[in-house]
Amino acid sequence: MSDSTATEIVRRLNRAVRSKSARLRLASRVPFGERLQVCRYILGNGLKVMLLVDHSAPVVSYHTWFRVGSRNDRPGKTGLAHLFEHLMFNETKNLPAGVFDRTLEAAGGESNAATWVDWTYYYANIPASELALIVSLEADRMANLVLRSAQVESEKQVVANERRYRVEDDVEGTVSELLYATAFKRHPYGQPTVGWMADIEGFSVKDCRNFYRTYYSPNNATLILAGDFDQQTALGLIQEHYGRQKAARIPRYRPAVEAGQRSERRLAIRRSTPSQRLLLGFRAPAFSDSDYPALVVANEILFGGRSSRLYRRLIRDNELAVDARGSVAPFCEPGLLEIWVVLRQGKTAPQALRVVDRELERLCAESVGKRELEKVINRLDLAFLQGLESASGKAERIGFYETVMGDARSLFARRQAFSAMRPEEVQRVARRYFRKKNRTVITVEPGDGELA
Amino acid sequence: MKGSCIAFRTRGGSSVFLEENHTLPLVDLQLTLRTGSVYDPKGLEGLTRITASMIRMGTKRLCATAVQEAIDRLGAQLYVLCAPSYVHFTASVVERNLKPFLSLLDELVCRPAWRPADLDFVKRQTIADIVEIRDNDQMLAVRHFRRFALAGHPYGRSVLGTIASVKAIRRKDVIRLYGEHYLARNLIIGAAGAVSEALLRELLDSSFNRLSGAKPPTEKVVAPRFATGRRVLVVDKPARSQTQILIGALGTSARDADYFPLLVGNTIFGGTFTARLMREIRSKRGWSYGASSRLAFDRQRDLWSMWAFPAAQDALACTELQLALLEKLIDQGITRNELAFAKDYLIKSHAFEIDTAAKRLGLAMETELFRLASDFHSRFVEKIRAVTRDQVNQALKKRLSKRNLAIVIVATYEDIRKQLESFSGVTSISVVPFDEI
Repeated sequence: MSDSTATEIVRRLNRAVRSKSARLRLASRVPFGERLQVCRYILGNGLKVMLLVDHSAPVVSYHTWFRVGSRNDRPGKTGLAHLFEHLMFNETKNLPAGVFDRTLEAAGGESNAATWVDWTYYYANIPASELALIVSLEADRMANLVLRSAQVESEKQVVANERRYRVEDDVEGTVSELLYATAFKRHPYGQPTVGWMADIEGFSVKDCRNFYRTYYSPNNATLILAGDFDQQTALGLIQEHYGRQKAARIPRYRPAVEAGQRSERRLAIRRSTPSQRLLLGFRAPAFSDSDYPALVVANEILFGGRSSRLYRRLIRDNELAVDARGSVAPFCEPGLLEIWVVLRQGKTAPQALRVVDRELERLCAESVGKRELEKVINRLDLAFLQGLESASGKAERIGFYETVMGDARSLFARRQAFSAMRPEEVQRVARRYFRKKNRTVITVEPGDGELA
Repeated sequence: MKGSCIAFRTRGGSSVFLEENHTLPLVDLQLTLRTGSVYDPKGLEGLTRITASMIRMGTKRLCATAVQEAIDRLGAQLYVLCAPSYVHFTASVVERNLKPFLSLLDELVCRPAWRPADLDFVKRQTIADIVEIRDNDQMLAVRHFRRFALAGHPYGRSVLGTIASVKAIRRKDVIRLYGEHYLARNLIIGAAGAVSEALLRELLDSSFNRLSGAKPPTEKVVAPRFATGRRVLVVDKPARSQTQILIGALGTSARDADYFPLLVGNTIFGGTFTARLMREIRSKRGWSYGASSRLAFDRQRDLWSMWAFPAAQDALACTELQLALLEKLIDQGITRNELAFAKDYLIKSHAFEIDTAAKRLGLAMETELFRLASDFHSRFVEKIRAVTRDQVNQALKKRLSKRNLAIVIVATYEDIRKQLESFSGVTSISVVPFDEI
């Protein structure tokens, strides 16, 4: 679609509306790979709309990303953003409880949602013929949710069970929660997204209503449509169903400032596990930081594939571990680079830590070879392409980059940053972030008991 | 839907399926062998999986490290998946490296080295994986459930094997299994993505031809028999705040005439977010984060099962509710509205079974693997549309059982012991420690 065609569609659609909040504006039109493009529109009420037309399959993936996550939860009210995600599948002024999902399933769709520190998103994958249905359902719950005591109480139980499943009966979940709580003493990234159990149990209907009024408004959201649809039809439906919604005043996000870490933090716990575990968290840059891509490459050198340095050292050569993984938290603000090692029975976390430290020191001391760097870039490219195979994958990536980076175009810029990576850049960030004073170390030993 | 699956055979006799799609410069590959853990000899459970794992551990020319290095350098991924009735080698590669990657796959499959040191490593790694199952309550439940429900049948064996059986596997066992099952006529090759038919034919002309042309063995697995009564097995694990509950019975097989009515019935019972199980357990009572039922199939009848994971204090109430819901399903059947809903759901959501080239390839490969009717997937919509309420209700009565059920609960036994004392209608309750795997 050309600029003039997109502008003409907007002009035609705006001719029929009176309300300012329903007026559309074409903000940008950018290529999405070699064959596709994303058109970015903004409704008068502030709702961002990203459209990616792809006729390769008769399906549409419909995403709604809200710029609210667990970092917006206040102490004592942790888990509210996540609980609210559950409540959004309940009753509205127009639909009784349970009808949202039932209607969508009858139309052949499936929907779900996710909450993390910086965002909450809702998605529905639907047959292309059901576009009008999903626009009306999603617009309705953005504005007309009904929150009653019975539903809030029932959903609190479901979330408590989710917490038991993901955290309390899961060693990795327990330790991950502990890592962030130890690394971030003041910043809300130290709070678990699912919430502390006591907080989950304490939520009231009033808490939920306040949260809804505060954060669920068109000017705090981005819609992403990817798949087989007609732009003008989609925009017309969006205008009709969202155009009457009013923008809200979104409170300015002012997180508590986390002081820089000055020394290594260590914790040891016991849990009912068959073998020891080791979790490291190095303070790491925000996803939008220019250091981030190089740190991802460094992590890939260490953990990407079976030929990676730490896979070989920990799992193959020394047979210390069953599993070894690393990842850089993709957060709006500085997060952690996490390293997770599951030891073999009889092997110890200090043994693994010595191996990890040697490899981190090597990465800081020696420049990465050209062949190794090429290998890592190839692997990252494969992961990038795999993420774009389905309409849902495309929508998710657009939503993520638009929400976290403020611009979906940076998805392809990030791919470019990986392919242009230089060895000295990797070494520089390794030296900057892989410092002992910059990290938190948690070890788990088999057995009963609490913190050592 | 763009594209349609092209099928042909290699010179060696392997079936090939291609789903061409040039949207992304990416190719997904799948090599499927008609073998599986059902062929593991008694006392050597895990042999099929270890043999498949050894495929990526080196060739006569390349050591294991060189193989991993080559896979990663080509921007490729290779996973090995073993099941009772098949072995999948699933791979993806960036388009520009398809040719060298396919050549590497050919070398891996046709020229394995079977180095003793690598076999010892894979065995130790497998034993470590078995030990780690203790840490994952859901996996622990599944492992015990299959073994408990299908005791003595090959489908009840663990694909991973046991610590003792893995220790007993020798190099000659691996070589023998490879010789008997890694045959050209036992291999199904699939490609989806940015590769043309002409290129794939050209590449396969020189690939996988070194596999033996011998006749594949005939699978001799008989239909499983299910023990009578409602039998309960508690897997006792300390410090659990929650339980994992799996309840099941024999379900259906790949060529069961009742398959489509059963699929509709299962969709109504526990196949969607608003199905009966989810509505009663999660939405109404908040007992479990998830609740669902699953209709698996294999060449012979496999298990139908339902799953929930309530807090310890709700374990018995949740189990009794699940059983009551199953009884109601079998005794009273489904309603007209439920039938209409399930058919709508299955027919319309079928678009998501075929929305990517890789998924379309997967269906073609499954049809070939299980020798399903050629229209099993291609006429899925018509088959679902034709299902009647009577067919569903009869199939549920005929295929599912409310009397003969295996019930596995992973929990801290002491926390649910009193509840179990009042569990009526069960024929046996046994308890095993979680680390006895």
